[in-house]
Amino acid sequence: MFLILKYVAKLLKALSSEASPNQLAGGFILGMIIGLTPVLSVHNLIILILIIILKVNIGMAILAFLIFSGIAYLADPLFHSFGIWILENDGLQDTWTSMYNNELWAITKFYNTVVIGSFISALVLCVPMFPLTKVGVVQYRKHIHEKVMKTKFAKALKGTKLYSVYQTVARVRG
Amino acid sequence: MRIKGLIFLAIITALGFLISWISIDPIVESEIEYQASIANGALVEIDGFDIDLIDLKIRWDRLQVANPENTMSNSFETGEMELDFLFWPTWWERVIVEDIIFKDFKMDTERETDGYFEIPEDEKNAEPSFVAQVIGDMTSEISRNANMEFTNIKTNINVDSLMSKLNLQAPDKIDSLRNGLSRNYQKWDSTFANTKINKEIADIEKTINAIDVKKIKDPKKAIEAIKNVQKLAKQVDSLKTRAQNLKNDFQEDFGDSKFSVGRIDNWIQADFQRAMNMAKLPTIDPGNIAQSLFGENLLADYSGYLEYVAIARKYGSRLVGEDKDKIERYEGKDYKFSDKYDWPKLWIQNIDLSGETKTAIQLAGQITNISSDQKKTKEPIRFDLGGKGDSNRSMTLTGEFNYLGDEPRETINFTYDGFGLKGTKISPSELLPYPLKTGTGEVSATVSIIDKRFDSEIGYKAKGIAFDFGQNPSKDRIQQLIRDAVSSTDQINVTALVDNLDGPLKVKVRSNVDDLFVNALKSTVSKEVDRARQKIESRVRSEIGNRKEQLLAFKNEKEAEIRKEYERLENRVNEEIKKVEEKKEELEKKKKELEDSLKNNIKDRIGIDW
Repeated sequence: MFLILKYVAKLLKALSSEASPNQLAGGFILGMIIGLTPVLSVHNLIILILIIILKVNIGMAILAFLIFSGIAYLADPLFHSFGIWILENDGLQDTWTSMYNNELWAITKFYNTVVIGSFISALVLCVPMFPLTKVGVVQYRKHIHEKVMKTKFAKALKGTKLYSVYQTVARVRG
Repeated sequence: MRIKGLIFLAIITALGFLISWISIDPIVESEIEYQASIANGALVEIDGFDIDLIDLKIRWDRLQVANPENTMSNSFETGEMELDFLFWPTWWERVIVEDIIFKDFKMDTERETDGYFEIPEDEKNAEPSFVAQVIGDMTSEISRNANMEFTNIKTNINVDSLMSKLNLQAPDKIDSLRNGLSRNYQKWDSTFANTKINKEIADIEKTINAIDVKKIKDPKKAIEAIKNVQKLAKQVDSLKTRAQNLKNDFQEDFGDSKFSVGRIDNWIQADFQRAMNMAKLPTIDPGNIAQSLFGENLLADYSGYLEYVAIARKYGSRLVGEDKDKIERYEGKDYKFSDKYDWPKLWIQNIDLSGETKTAIQLAGQITNISSDQKKTKEPIRFDLGGKGDSNRSMTLTGEFNYLGDEPRETINFTYDGFGLKGTKISPSELLPYPLKTGTGEVSATVSIIDKRFDSEIGYKAKGIAFDFGQNPSKDRIQQLIRDAVSSTDQINVTALVDNLDGPLKVKVRSNVDDLFVNALKSTVSKEVDRARQKIESRVRSEIGNRKEQLLAFKNEKEAEIRKEYERLENRVNEEIKKVEEKKEELEKKKKELEDSLKNNIKDRIGIDW
C-alpha cells in the first residue's frame, strides 16, 4: 500500500514539474510494452531492468502497465492473429528458422503468436506514443494539473499519514 | 543511469541466488522421491542429494529403492552417483542427461527402516495393467498345484465336509443363466403379442377384400385400384422386412454366441477342479508333476521380475504424447521452425552401472535412452548388463523396451549360469525332498511381449547332480521308487512355457524326469487318486443335479414356442403377399378387358382400327 501511494504521489509530483517530459514518456512506453506483452517473458525482464537503471519515471511505467494490461486482455485475439501472420510470412521463414535454432533467441519465445504479435504491436505503438505522451505531459501541466490537485482524491492523498511519512522520509533522504 | 537502481538489481540477483541455493535441493529431492515411490509402490530414498546450478550437476551419496513385496529390504541400492545435465533444455522445462555413472549397485539389501509407502488414492484406483494381469494369472496357476499331496492320498475323504467348505458356484450360475433366459423369453413373448404387424395385416386384408373387381366398369377406376394395390404391396413388403428383422434379432439373442452348453460344462468342471484342489488330490500326468516339482520355484521369481516390465510399460504408455498443442487465451500458439527443441521431459541417454549382486557377481553394463517419450528420442530403452563371480558363475541381462510403434514391445533375455547346487533342494515338493550332494545350475529366460501377446520361455538346468538320500532313507514305497528313478539321473532339465498366444494365459512346465515320477506314482497311488476323484465327481454332479438338462429343455421348449410364433407371423405375411399379388393380377386383367372393350366400341363407332 505504502509503495503504491509512494508511486502515485511521485507520479503526481513528477507530472507537476519535477521530471522532464522525456523521462515520463520513456517510463510510459516501457510500461506499455510490459503491459501489452505476456508478463512472464524474457524481454520483459530486460525492460524491467531498463526501467530500474534508466532515469525513466517508474510511476508512469506502473500506470502504463496497468492501463495496457487491460487493453492487452481484450486485444489478445488480435495479437494472436497478427502473430500467425508474421510467423507464417514466407519472406521471414529463413530469419525465423535461424533465430529459432539459436538458443538465445529461442528463450525469448518469439515463436509464440501472442508474444511476437503483441511485442511488435507494442514497438510500433512506441513511435506515436512517445511524442504523444510528451505533448500530453506539457498540456497536463498547463491546463489540468491545478484542477487535479484540487480534487478530493488528491486532497485525501495529501491528508493521509502515509503521505506525510513519505514526505518526511523523502525530505530526509534529500 | 540510476546508481540506486543498479544496486537494487544487484541485491535482488544475489538474494535470488541465495534463496535458490538454500531451498532447491530439498524441493527437488522430495519431488523425485515422491514420484519414484509412486512408480515403485514402495519408498525410494535419496541421501546427500545436491544440485549444482553453476556446474549443472546432480549428485547423491546413496539411493535406496524399497522392495514393494518386502518393505524391510531394498530391491536395489546404489552408492555415489553424479550426473551432468544440459543447460539449454532446462529453459524448456526438460531434463536431458547425457551420462550417469552408478557405482556400488547392490541388489536385495537389508533396510534399517520400513520402506512402506502410502500410494495416493488416484494412483491406487488405476486399472490393473495387462502385464499385472498376466502376473496375477500366472501366480494363481502356480499356486494351483503348489499344495498337491502326491504321497499322502486321503482315501477316506469326508465329502460332506468338503462340499460345505467348497460352496459350489455352478448351480447359482446356471440358475442365474436360466433367470436371464426367462426374462429374455418374456420379452420376446411380449414382442410377438404386441407387434403391430398382425393389425397391419388385418387392415391390408380388409382393404383387399373391399376391392370388388367385378364391380369395376371403368378403366380409370381399375387404374386407381391397381395403384392402391401397389401401395398395399409395398406395405406388405415392409412388413416382411420387419418380420425378418425380428427373426434376426431373435437369432442374435439366442444364438450360439450368447449361449453355449460348453460354458455350463466349464462351470461344472471348475467346481470339480476346486473340490479336487481342496482335497489336495493331484492329477497324475507329466504336466502336473513338473509344475508341482519345479513350477513354484521357477515361476515365483519370474513373476516378481515381470513387475518391472509392468512399471516400464505403465510409464512408457502414460507419457506418450505428453505435449499437446493448446491455444488458450493469452497463451497463443508456439510455432516450430525445426525439431531442435523436440526433447522429451526426461531423457537419460546413458547409464553406466557397476556393482555386485547378492550372490557376489560383479555386475557391470549399460542402460541407454530412458526417456519419458520415445517418439521424441526415436530410441527404445536398451539394457545390457553382465558379470562374473567366482567358480565360473556368470549372469547376463539384455533387453529392449520399445514404445516407438503403435504396439508396445518388450523383449528380455536373462541367463544365470554356474551357480552351485550342493546342499540345496531343487524342488520344494514332497516328491523330491532330497538335497543335492553336487551339481551346478543354469537358469535362462526369454520374454517377448507385443501389446497384449505374451510369450516366454524359462529354462532351468541342474547339471552334474547327485542326490543325498541320507543315512536312513524312508521305506515308503513311493519314495523308494522315486529314489530308484532319480538316483541314476545326473541332469535335470526343466522348461516352462508361459504364453497367451492362443487365448487365455497358459503355463506349461515340462522336465526330463516327469515320466519317472508319473510311472512311480501310477504304480502306487494312482488307484487311490482315481477312487477319491470319482467320489468327489459324483458328489459334485449330484449337487448340481440335472440343472443343466432342465435348463436345456426349458431353452428348447421356449425357443420352439417363439419360433412357432414367428413362423405363424411369417406365414400370415406371406399369405397376404400372395393375396395382394393375386388381387393385382386380377385388376390388371380387368383393366385390359375394359380397355379392349373400350377400343372395340370406338372402332365400331368410327371405323378405325386402333
